[in-house]
Amino acid sequence: MEADWRRIDIDAYDPESGRLTAADLVPPYQTTVTLQELQPRMNQLRSLATSGDSTGAVQLLTTDPPYSADTATKEQYFGSVLEALTQVRQADIGNVIKTLSDSQKDVLVKYLYKGMSVPQGQKQGGILLAWLEKVTQVSGVTPIVHYISDRRTV
Amino acid sequence: MSQSLRPYLTAVRYSLEAALTLSNFSSQEVERHNRPEVEVPNTSAELLLQPMHISRNENEQVLIEPSVNSVRMSLMVKQADEIEQILVHKFTRFLEQRAEAFYILRRVPIPGYSISFLITNKHTESMKTGKLVDFIIEFMEDVDKEISEIKLFLNARARFVAEAYLDEFVY
Repeated sequence: MEADWRRIDIDAYDPESGRLTAADLVPPYQTTVTLQELQPRMNQLRSLATSGDSTGAVQLLTTDPPYSADTATKEQYFGSVLEALTQVRQADIGNVIKTLSDSQKDVLVKYLYKGMSVPQGQKQGGILLAWLEKVTQVSGVTPIVHYISDRRTV
Repeated sequence: MSQSLRPYLTAVRYSLEAALTLSNFSSQEVERHNRPEVEVPNTSAELLLQPMHISRNENEQVLIEPSVNSVRMSLMVKQADEIEQILVHKFTRFLEQRAEAFYILRRVPIPGYSISFLITNKHTESMKTGKLVDFIIEFMEDVDKEISEIKLFLNARARFVAEAYLDEFVY
């Protein structure tokens, strides 16, 4: 240890160095959503998706997503989101997207990119890509730019 | 172009367009250095943006990692069997050894991917961004065609060699 003192990174010990870690960039949330609180929402999502109300399901999953939940909870919740997204028929995707507001489209794009980064979503890659294509046809590159710079993850 | 390839390429095109808004940015760590922030071990997380995964299926994926002054884009080329694995490896290695002629090509792909590109603000300043995106899309289209073509040639050649060799034993 003694021989290595030149390599000690003294800036890391300075609280005013201005360095930011990934944890610093997560926006401060007032409350944390737990899995129990999300359960009714997941059930509602599932019943909407299975009853064929695709517009209702996508409206529900794109409003007020659980940003503040921890990773495991988000993973669980994402399972039902993916199920709802894959149950929408290809022909309906365009009509569903027309009913979404701009901020809802941003949320949808977040879920699409998340879906394509996990193995269970990669199996459904074709459907997620169809969604993304329809979103870009309506609003172009805007929701993707919002996705890149937004630190709130789904 | 097949029906399922088009949404894939569209997604890559839009994602790249969104990511390729780069600006000149000096290093915050080392004085008078200017380095691609996506490549260096970074102590300032604010310079890195959200990575984008685009996948057609488990075997064909693209990963785009944007940062303030550079974008790294990695491509996983479809490899259906062992011959294709070898061919993709040889093909990408051939290109990577000539990386300085391709400007945006990275010499080593990041683990898990077949080939990587590194686009910095120098590139977007000296080249047209739209054309860069076009080049990458065209590359993605052509690489699959190229690999399956090489595979056909290889099989034809192997058949010919086998015939020529086994002719020796025919009386």
